[in-house]
Amino acid sequence: MQQPSEEPERNAECSEGTSGEPTAVRQHESPPGGGVEPKEPLIQLYLADSIPLLWRSAHVKVARERLGVVGAAVGSLARQPRQNCRLSRPVQLLREEARFLLENGRAELVKALKPQNYEQEVQSYAHYLERNHEEQQKFALEEKKQVLKRVMEDKCKDGAAAPSSIQSVKDSLDSLESSFTFPCSAMMVQLCTARARFSYTPEERLWLSAELANPVDERQKVRYRVFSDLREKGYYLTSAGKFGGDYLVYPGDPLRFHAHFIAVCVPLDKETPLSDYLSLSRLGSNVKKTILLCSPSQTDAKFVHYTSIQWSGMV
Amino acid sequence: MAEAEERSAVDSGGAWTDELLSPSELFSVRTRDHKIPTRGQKEFLYDGSEEQVERLQCSLGEHWKLLSEERVERQGSLVKAEWKPEDVTVALKTPAGKFWQTMGYADEGKQFLLPEEALFLMECGSVEVFYRDLPLSIQEGYELLLGDKTISLLEYLVFSHLKRLGYIVNRFDSSAVPSVYERRLNLVHKREKQSKQQRKRKRSVSASRSNDISEGQPDSQDVQNRREKAGDDAFMEGTSSDSQKAVGMNYFSSSAVSSEEECHELPSNSEQKRPDWWEKKLEEAPSPGRPVYSKQSAGKCDLNKVLFPNLGRDCLHTNLEVPDACLLPSNVTATACDISSWREKLNMRQMRLTRREREELEKKKKYKRGVNEDKEVRACKNWQEYKQLLERRSQSSSKQRPAHLWNDVICPLVTPGQVSSTGDLLQQISVMQASHLVDDAVGLVEDACDKRITFDVYQADTAFDFKKSDPGKPYSRISVCSFEDPVPSLHTLKRLAQQSGDVPVTFAVVDNGDISFYSFKDFWLPTDVWQ
Repeated sequence: MQQPSEEPERNAECSEGTSGEPTAVRQHESPPGGGVEPKEPLIQLYLADSIPLLWRSAHVKVARERLGVVGAAVGSLARQPRQNCRLSRPVQLLREEARFLLENGRAELVKALKPQNYEQEVQSYAHYLERNHEEQQKFALEEKKQVLKRVMEDKCKDGAAAPSSIQSVKDSLDSLESSFTFPCSAMMVQLCTARARFSYTPEERLWLSAELANPVDERQKVRYRVFSDLREKGYYLTSAGKFGGDYLVYPGDPLRFHAHFIAVCVPLDKETPLSDYLSLSRLGSNVKKTILLCSPSQTDAKFVHYTSIQWSGMV
Repeated sequence: MAEAEERSAVDSGGAWTDELLSPSELFSVRTRDHKIPTRGQKEFLYDGSEEQVERLQCSLGEHWKLLSEERVERQGSLVKAEWKPEDVTVALKTPAGKFWQTMGYADEGKQFLLPEEALFLMECGSVEVFYRDLPLSIQEGYELLLGDKTISLLEYLVFSHLKRLGYIVNRFDSSAVPSVYERRLNLVHKREKQSKQQRKRKRSVSASRSNDISEGQPDSQDVQNRREKAGDDAFMEGTSSDSQKAVGMNYFSSSAVSSEEECHELPSNSEQKRPDWWEKKLEEAPSPGRPVYSKQSAGKCDLNKVLFPNLGRDCLHTNLEVPDACLLPSNVTATACDISSWREKLNMRQMRLTRREREELEKKKKYKRGVNEDKEVRACKNWQEYKQLLERRSQSSSKQRPAHLWNDVICPLVTPGQVSSTGDLLQQISVMQASHLVDDAVGLVEDACDKRITFDVYQADTAFDFKKSDPGKPYSRISVCSFEDPVPSLHTLKRLAQQSGDVPVTFAVVDNGDISFYSFKDFWLPTDVWQ
């Protein structure tokens, strides 16, 4: 995990301070440790109603394992679509997560273009279906043969079987090639999750996304600074609306670890009554997590003050 | 990732392209596992040990396997549909499956699905939606089927969440909400129930009649059934119609008679057969086909001229004469009778009171006075005079109010005798009235950015007898908002409660894919009084 963690930091240094400018960098420098690392393709972000979504499972994997961006699955699971415990693609990202990926040059915003040559597309699809049908027919035929062979062998081994039944099985095996039917309706068809193109179609890259690159208000700026700081320290972050805070902070991947902190973003100069902090600390003690008040420094662009609240005795 | 082999067919950009499965993979899907592996216990501390890393890799591997699995279905079990953007709807090309019971709508014999329903069914692997001869992937479905003209992504997330739990979710239609007046009169379900019952009965009637009727008749049968139903509706609303006359005539033409027909027969035929006693003094001549119970034909009896016999103890008459024929119902006859035998059976003895009853009677005598013993009351000849007497008495008593209480600037809040119970008294003197959600909610104007009700939700256990044409009262109505939006104001709450009628409104709040439900309920402070 050493090399990948160096890259984002260096890229962060390069692109820090630029806001709203094209930040999708396709080529990034090769690591200093030597060795030719294959160019990692960029994660593609799609916007739906200004909500960033990830569609391809490879992108979700890279985002989670290499970059520590977890996201939230919102689509139905292919295996069991009618349950809510385990969901699947698309994976929705927080605004801060998307911005983090963009600013580190690991992702690009993409929008689909209409295919250039539509007839070719339709033809390719028809060919694809035909080829599928032929191949599946072969597999089905082969499978049937195996089944019949096995039946014959079992009958042969079993001494009590009448020779006429063995003969009938042999006959059906011989005539299988000619009598076998595999209708189109028996063919297995894929319902693609991510966009599938049967002929090459480019997708347009969006260079500017005002909402993601430029935070709309103070609160979003504060949130982003806290997010990027905690992420670079190696923590995994997810949304904590139901816990009354901004982020849940995990020491490792949320799949295996419990959250330690509830991060609440508070601007340094904000005046807050003590009762608010009291209710936060009550909440934290109820769910057995520590409340972490996070305030970005106004003097140093890279420093964030952290304060944890602990409910304890007098001394 | 055993299943989805990604073609890392890299194009010039270096990006991954398709996640298409090869035919062999497609074929082997039939033996795919259908269970979801359970997640084990989580760990608390991160210590970077090897076991932890291994367990993490294992969990992650499982996770990617589930996430990357593609939907593969048998071609024959997929319902084919087409997206029509100009009508903003999805038209089914092959007949619908089991989902038709709770989803979709029919128009001119063709089957359609709403865009969000189609997208959900795509995710379930039941429907394959085509657009311009190419199948849509789920991603394209999200891009095309969700938008301003249909529903937003947040609303779709709530929709699919509820559908996965098993609820039946329809789009909200504000014109279908019954008004307060209809609900008060209980018109909503009664009308539907009656029409259902009548339809049922008529089917059985026509079945029994089918034997008697010749071949030329079946068409008129249907016409008659329809007219009967129309006639019933007209009957219920109290308006006259010529169909009633036609109904009467048709009944004569058929031979079989059912009990229902008899009761319909009565009003229209009775005028022709015999004079009804309550119609003796009609000003207008009765016209055929006019329903009898309407106010226009109500007869007027002159009760002043009717002698009612006095059968009390003080009357010595024992012989009663035959009453006038116009006073009796048509099929009842009466004779003169002597009631002396009945009188003897009356208990004319003096009441013997128990001791307790006697004591109570004495107490009452002391403090209470019978109304009839009052001379002034006896002097009154009718109710009007009695009421005037009461008025005078109350006015005179009011002048006896104590001056120190009533003549000052500050006087008592309640006059004696004004209220009859503690509850009423409290109501009279209360300063703050309890406010309910639907108070003053009529006519609240909606802003452009205001929340709106999007869905009606029906419970899952009603699925087997759920009728799309008559869904009934929903379990709740849903308004979707984002976690970052402010809490809805009282204005919004009142407006939505008013729009929804008597169905509670639930707010579905979406926080980065996580959905929670909130609702605001009316709360009545307890009153400490037994009213």
